[in-house]
Amino acid sequence: MLIKENAYRKIQPVFRSDYTERGLKFMTKRNTLTALTLSAALLLSACGTGGSAQRSGTAADGGDKKVSFTIGYAAGDPAARKAIADTVQRFTEANPEIEIKDLSENSSSSYLDWLKTKDAVGEFPDLVEMRDTEVFADAGKIVELPTGLLDLFDSPPEVEGKVWNAPLVLNSPQGIIYSKKAYADAGIGELPKTYDEFIAVQEKLKAGGITPLVVGGKDIFHMGFWVNKFLIDDVYAEDPDWNSKKTNKEVSFADDNVVQAMTDYKELFENYVDKGWLSTPDNQTASILVSGKAAQLFSGTWMFTQIEEADPGFEYGFYAVPDRRGKVNVIGLPSPAGWSLSADAAKDPAKQEAIEKFIRFFFEPDQYAQYLASINGLPSTKEKVEYETGEAMQVALDLMNDPDVTKSLAINNWWGENLIPPQFRNWFYKKLQEMVVANGDVKTYMRQVDEEYDNQVKANAQ
Amino acid sequence: MGTPASTTRLRADAQSRGRKKRLNSFALVFILPSLILYTLFVIVPTLGSVYLSFTSWDGISDDIRFIGLANFTEIWHSPRVHNALKNTLILTLSLVVLENIAAIAMALLVDKVRWFKNLFRSVFYFPTLLSGVVMGFVWAMILNYNFGVLNQILQAVGLGGLTLDWLGNPRYAMLSIILSTVWKGAGYYMIIYLAGLQGIPSELSEAAGIDGANGWQQFRFITFPLLAGSLTVCMVLSMISALKIFDQIAVMTDGGPGFATETLTYIIYKVGFGELRQGFGTALAMVLFVLILIVTVIQVKILRKREVQY
Repeated sequence: MLIKENAYRKIQPVFRSDYTERGLKFMTKRNTLTALTLSAALLLSACGTGGSAQRSGTAADGGDKKVSFTIGYAAGDPAARKAIADTVQRFTEANPEIEIKDLSENSSSSYLDWLKTKDAVGEFPDLVEMRDTEVFADAGKIVELPTGLLDLFDSPPEVEGKVWNAPLVLNSPQGIIYSKKAYADAGIGELPKTYDEFIAVQEKLKAGGITPLVVGGKDIFHMGFWVNKFLIDDVYAEDPDWNSKKTNKEVSFADDNVVQAMTDYKELFENYVDKGWLSTPDNQTASILVSGKAAQLFSGTWMFTQIEEADPGFEYGFYAVPDRRGKVNVIGLPSPAGWSLSADAAKDPAKQEAIEKFIRFFFEPDQYAQYLASINGLPSTKEKVEYETGEAMQVALDLMNDPDVTKSLAINNWWGENLIPPQFRNWFYKKLQEMVVANGDVKTYMRQVDEEYDNQVKANAQ
Repeated sequence: MGTPASTTRLRADAQSRGRKKRLNSFALVFILPSLILYTLFVIVPTLGSVYLSFTSWDGISDDIRFIGLANFTEIWHSPRVHNALKNTLILTLSLVVLENIAAIAMALLVDKVRWFKNLFRSVFYFPTLLSGVVMGFVWAMILNYNFGVLNQILQAVGLGGLTLDWLGNPRYAMLSIILSTVWKGAGYYMIIYLAGLQGIPSELSEAAGIDGANGWQQFRFITFPLLAGSLTVCMVLSMISALKIFDQIAVMTDGGPGFATETLTYIIYKVGFGELRQGFGTALAMVLFVLILIVTVIQVKILRKREVQY
């Protein structure tokens, strides 16, 4: 403290001098100007950056007439990401006057979060893979699919009487992807024809010393695979309008059919699923399956590519899990999802024209076949698309073509009157995780779920 | 008319006031750019958030409806929010205590140790340089049930029975987050405590040693009381940082299993962005703001009382 006081005394006389007084006046004026200039420059530069960022998205006003648009899609599946990136590259090589900026640096588990964040910062993609179509359509963020593109598809789903998407693929069935070696080792020669036989298969695998099922429960969307299998068997296969009835309080999650579905889910997870399921991400499930740590994975056809990449020599099969009566019900109805044009992009005719050109290119049979082959997808176009499929994919195609197989949708993929509150899906899956971990009573949990659903409907109506 | 002496004094006072005014204007010029930016990017959005907390805005549409106190009523009655609040308090209390204990221990070590002083300082400080996301990924890999190093080591040394799903078991998921966050954060507070320790005159400890005080007594009655200033700073900083914890949870557990590690900051993000309820999320942010404000004021008042000047 002493040192500081002395220093202060030494400094004071300097400030008291007339010279300094005059200098101070001058300095004050000059610094006022400098500071104001600096502030203005900073603010203007901040505004300028935003402006240039906006302009860079619409390069059509330049002298070179190059049109630029941004693209965003769920990039969690590496195969799908590469397939789209390759198509974009082929398109821009064939159309050098069009530039496509790929914004997709997300994982599919957080796609909605990512999309909303992009919207919040003013970077909503011009061409976007849309999954929550109704929500974004209601918010005015996307526009109807241009009529010129409608002829590409066979009766695409409509929301409020309008088509909003160019469907990337049709919904494909989910089922058991199993290790043939594990089945052979456990003496399983025949695939199950009822759910009870399926449980007997799990017992045999367990007795053989291998974990029957791997589940990527850390990624909340992965929870939906099993949950929706049971919901479809016990609820949606009989009543596709169950969601709208729930919204109108005509049915309840505590009804016997839902409780039965969730009891099956709970028992399966308690007895046959890998112990680390809650911390296993979806992208580790293929490794766990091919490494022989688990015998089966319940997932969709897109996993075939990942499994083959993880171990090209791994022998696997695929089948849909039947219900107790031996009936097969799978995800397979079309749903409103796919490429959508943003409302902002639609205001710029040059940009819209470029996007339409890209969509046509994407669905050209030669191009589209490469995309479908990469992800083992089912074509959504009118025109026939042919690509080589493996044995497992053939099973999926047979399921889709079999009129005796009931096609349905996951709880969150319905639309219109059957649209559930957007916040419900993740909450519901997490609640089901909690139910298994806490060994909770299914009926009690379903009453809580029912109450929460009603609360969310009420909250969204405000 | 006053005396010449009083006139001179009045003139001097007036000059002094003028000089002070000029100096204040001078200072204002320097803070103006920051003030403008802070107002634009912090104050204005914060005030905007207050309004949004009374709306049902979904975050994407232009339809922003005023719904009064409905969001706050829902917060009051929501079991999910109550659970997040409980998790936040457990996490905060644990982190404040453990981070500061670890930081003081490390500071004492690097202050006293004779050999490898710089090595210890670097090793202890290094984790603070990692971002929460990177740290979260590293620990998620270490603690992974199937491929994680920890479980593999346990199996290799014949303790396979102790392997656990560290991040998938509700009992251990929160503990894992707490310990990994202490590992990351303690080094930062160690630096503050180290500065405090180096400001304590060595004569005090030497005199106590001559009087027969042992190491613990010297720490308990001399070092620790004189570290009160550093303690106040570290406790407040660690408390605020713990209340705002987000990255580790997002990467390591995503708030799970179930809702076991969901905290207030995480729920704000989840409902605001993932569940399209920006209005409700903003109302939660307001609650968190008030909570941090109250706890900080109380904490500073209590800790300031026990600060020792020398």
